[in-house]
Amino acid sequence: MGVKYLRVVNRDRCIGCFSCMYACSRMVRNSMGSGKASMRVRSYAGLEGAFSIRVCARCAHPDCASACPTGALITAPGGGVRLDKDLCISCKTCVKACAISALQWDEEEKQPLPCIHCGQCVRYCPNDVLALVEDGGTEATPS
Amino acid sequence: MNASILYVDLTSGQSRVERDEALFREFMGGTAVATELLFRHGDPKGDALAPEAPVIFAIGPFNALLPVATKTVSLFMSPLSGELGESHAGGRLSMALRDAGIDALVITGRAKAPSYLTIENETVAVKSAATFWGQSALATDRILREAESRSGRKVSILRIGPAGERLSPIACATVDGSRHFGRLGLGAVLGSKNLKAIVASGTRTPPIARPKEYKAVYDTLYDRVVRSKEMKKYHDLGTSSNIVPLSLIRGLPTRNFTQGHFEGAEAISGERFAKDFLVQHTACAHCQCGCIHMAELREEFAPYHYSTNRISYDYELLYAMGSMLSLSNPEDILRLLLFTEKQGWDVISLGGTLAWATESFLRGTLSADATEGLTLSFGDGATYMAVLERIARGQGEFYRDLERGSAWCSEKWGGTDWAIHYGRVEPGGYMTGENFAVTSLMGVRHSHLDDSGYSADQKLLNAPKPVEDQVKDQVRDARWRMVMNSLIVCLFARGVYDETVILQGLDALGLSWDGPGLEKLGERALARKYEWKRLCGFDPEAVRMPEKMYSVQTSTGMIGRESLARRLALYREHTGLQDGKTPR
Repeated sequence: MGVKYLRVVNRDRCIGCFSCMYACSRMVRNSMGSGKASMRVRSYAGLEGAFSIRVCARCAHPDCASACPTGALITAPGGGVRLDKDLCISCKTCVKACAISALQWDEEEKQPLPCIHCGQCVRYCPNDVLALVEDGGTEATPS
Repeated sequence: MNASILYVDLTSGQSRVERDEALFREFMGGTAVATELLFRHGDPKGDALAPEAPVIFAIGPFNALLPVATKTVSLFMSPLSGELGESHAGGRLSMALRDAGIDALVITGRAKAPSYLTIENETVAVKSAATFWGQSALATDRILREAESRSGRKVSILRIGPAGERLSPIACATVDGSRHFGRLGLGAVLGSKNLKAIVASGTRTPPIARPKEYKAVYDTLYDRVVRSKEMKKYHDLGTSSNIVPLSLIRGLPTRNFTQGHFEGAEAISGERFAKDFLVQHTACAHCQCGCIHMAELREEFAPYHYSTNRISYDYELLYAMGSMLSLSNPEDILRLLLFTEKQGWDVISLGGTLAWATESFLRGTLSADATEGLTLSFGDGATYMAVLERIARGQGEFYRDLERGSAWCSEKWGGTDWAIHYGRVEPGGYMTGENFAVTSLMGVRHSHLDDSGYSADQKLLNAPKPVEDQVKDQVRDARWRMVMNSLIVCLFARGVYDETVILQGLDALGLSWDGPGLEKLGERALARKYEWKRLCGFDPEAVRMPEKMYSVQTSTGMIGRESLARRLALYREHTGLQDGKTPR
C-alpha cells in the first residue's frame, strides 16, 4: 500500500450538502458539527450551485509547515503535515500560508486541523466527488 | 440541545439568551416548542403586522446532526389567514442556528429604519439595510454573502424581497439558495418589522453524548438516504415526476381547478425539464439526497447576446405557474418563476390568485377597465409577465390588490365562488378528492403538508377503504408529522425515519424519549395548535369549501356536500375538536 492522497475528482457533481465536512468532524474529531472538518466546501455569492471543494494537497514541501514559526507542523512521510499541539502558539500563520485555503482552523482549540487523508469524507460523499488515490500527482486539487 | 432561546427586540435593539430546559424536555423542539413560545409571546387577537407580533424560529434535536434533518420552522400570526402562520424552510438555516448554539429565536418589535440582523454565536447586531432595501431577494443574497462572509464558515442568509417590503400577505422569506418559508406571509411580517434579512453563523461544535451509538444510527440513516429507494424519487426527477401521473388520474389542477387533466402535462413534466432545462441538483446542508432541481433559462436579449439564469423548480411550482395558468411552455414558466423569486412571493398563492383573476376576466366579472387594458387569458405567458411587472411597480389598484391573495381580491372584485382558497390560503396542487379537501380545510396550516390526504385519495383508486378509516389515518398522520416537525426532519425523509430509528437517534444524543412519549407529543402539539387557532377565531365547525370545488371532477369523482360534511365531522371527532371543545 502506497501513500494515500485525498483528491477532488468530480467537482462538478457536488450538490453542496456538506456531508463530507460532517463526516470528517464526526469520524475523525468526534464532534457533532461540521466546524472541525479538515476541509471546506465553498459556495459563491450569487452563483447558484457553484461549489469549490478545498482539501489538503498533501504537499511534499508544505507552505503551512514552512510558515510555522515554532515548527509545530511537521511534514509527514509522503507529504502533508501533522500537528505537535504542544508547540502550537495559535498564531494562525499556517492557515494564512495555505494558498488554496485547505488548511482549516479549530475555532475552539485555536489550532490548525491538518487532514490525515483517511478517506472518511470519501465514504460519506453521495456523489463520488472525492476519492483517495495512490498517486497524488495525477489528479488536480483543489477543484 | 442547549435549550437556548435567543430573544431579539428590534425596537430597542436589545437581545438576550435564555435557557429553558423544561420546555425542550417536554416539547422536544421545532414546531411543538415554537407553538408554546407563540402562546407565551403572541396575541391571538393581535394584528399580524403589529410591532409586538412575534416571529418565532425553532430547530429540533436532530437538526444538522443527522442526515436530512434540515428544516427550520417559523411560527407567526399570518397576515394572509389571520390566524396561525406556520412555514418551514431548509437551506442552511438550521445548521447555522445549531452552530450558533441557538434552538429557538424570538423576534419582536420594529426597527426604526430598514435593518438586518446578524447572529454570530451569542453575538447579535442590528445593522442598517438602507443601501439595499428595495433590492430583490436574489440581489440581497449576493450583497450579504459578501458583506457578511466568515472565513471557512458556513453562513445562512434569510431575506425578503420587495414583496415583503410592500407587506404583501403572500410574501415569502427566502433562505440561502432557492429555499423558502413560502406560505402564509412571513415575508410581510418581517417587512413590517423593517427587517430585510437575518444572517446566522456560529462556531459551536457540541460533544456527542454517546459517540458509538450516534455513529451507528447515522450510518443506518445515511445508507437509507443514499442507497435505499426511500428517497430515490426526490433524488432523481424530483417531485415534478408527479406532473404526468397526476394529470393521468385527473388530479393536476388545471385552469383554476376546472379540471384535473392538463393537456400540456407532458410539456411541463419532470422528464421534460430534466431533458431540456435541468443543469444541477443542489442540497440543503446535511442532506445527501439533494432534491433541489435547478433549471437554466438562456435567453437571447439582443442578436447573439444571451442572459442566463438558474431557477429552481418542483411540482408545486409547475402546478402554480404551469397547469393552473394553462402554460405549457417551460420557458414561460421559468420566466415567471424567476420574477417571483426576485420579488419574494409565495408561488402557490400567487399562481392561485392569477388563476382566479383569469377566470374572473373570462367570466366577465372583472372588466378590462379593472385590468387597465390587459386581456387575461389562460395560456398567455407574456400577459402574465406583464401582470407581475405591474404588481411589482404597484401600477394600478387592481395590480396592487393582486398580491393580497385570492380571498381578499374576490371579496373586493367579485368571484368568490371560484376563488380557490381554504381558510384564505391557496391550496397545493392536488385535485384528488375528499381526503385532500379535508387536509386543506382542517390542516393546522391549511397546507398539503399537514397530512397525506392527497396520497390517500390516490390510493383509493386501487384499494377502497372505509371513510372512517381514511379519516383516522389522516389524523394519525397529522399527529405523526408533528413529531417529524419537532425533530425537525424534512418530510421527504418520512419514509427513512421510522419510530425505531428516531428513538435510537434521540438516545444517542442523550435525550430520553420512548414510543408512547412520541405519540403523546404528536397528539399534544396538534391539539395545542388547534387551541391557538380557535383563539385566533378559527371555527372547525364553520370551515367552507370553495363553491366551485363541488362542481368539478377530481381523481375520485365529485366532492359531495354530505359526504364531505361527514368526513369533517369524523375529523373533528377523532381530533377531539367536536362540540367546540378545545382538545387537550
